[in-house]
Amino acid sequence: MNDSKNPLSPHLQIYRWQVSSLVSITHRITGILNLLGLIFICAWISSAGIGENFFESFSVFLKSFIGKFILIGFTWSMSYHLLSGIRHFFWDLGYGYEIKTANLSGIIVIIGSLFLTIILWMIGKGLI
Amino acid sequence: MKASRKWIFQRISAIIVAPLIIWFLISLISLSTGDYNSVINFFSKPLFLFLTIILLITGFFHAKIGLSEIYEDYIQDEKIKNVANILTFLLSIIVPLVTIILLLYKF
Repeated sequence: MNDSKNPLSPHLQIYRWQVSSLVSITHRITGILNLLGLIFICAWISSAGIGENFFESFSVFLKSFIGKFILIGFTWSMSYHLLSGIRHFFWDLGYGYEIKTANLSGIIVIIGSLFLTIILWMIGKGLI
Repeated sequence: MKASRKWIFQRISAIIVAPLIIWFLISLISLSTGDYNSVINFFSKPLFLFLTIILLITGFFHAKIGLSEIYEDYIQDEKIKNVANILTFLLSIIVPLVTIILLLYKF
């Protein structure tokens, strides 16, 4: 770490994308997005805490196209991070290190996050 | 914080946040089209208020540890890394604290 001339790893310019690396970097990106999501949740709660006028303004935004997009985006981001986190737990317990298994669980995380997003919205909307 | 302690805290906080965020997201989706009174009713329930506070504290704590892991990998300059860590620490304390104070003051 002392020699700053060392290149950063992985070498992004010559990097061949795989399921494992894609799921891994997305775990980190969704982690950062989830922090923004938490701040967004705090803003929503605070608006209700400050007063009805503030809350109503926030509500109008939430019901708008952009507001809905953000809310669905955060639902997906948190769904993804949660499922990917469960995958990490299996690794911690010593399971799933085989390349085939890791690729399969990575694909399950990607597809599962979309399903979980839909399920959470259906429950939230009272459809399930 | 020692790396091994970070590792275990990251996992404990994840286990706490996972069910709470599922519950809160569903509630948020449900309340997002509701009126002011429905939200007031929601936070007036002591259990919901308690769970929300636990979610905020644990969630920001989890985010703080996670971000410092990312800084460790991508920021080479120790000084910049320290500043980034301090700013993240302050953010992860102040934002939930202000929200929780507002919640407790209101409900």
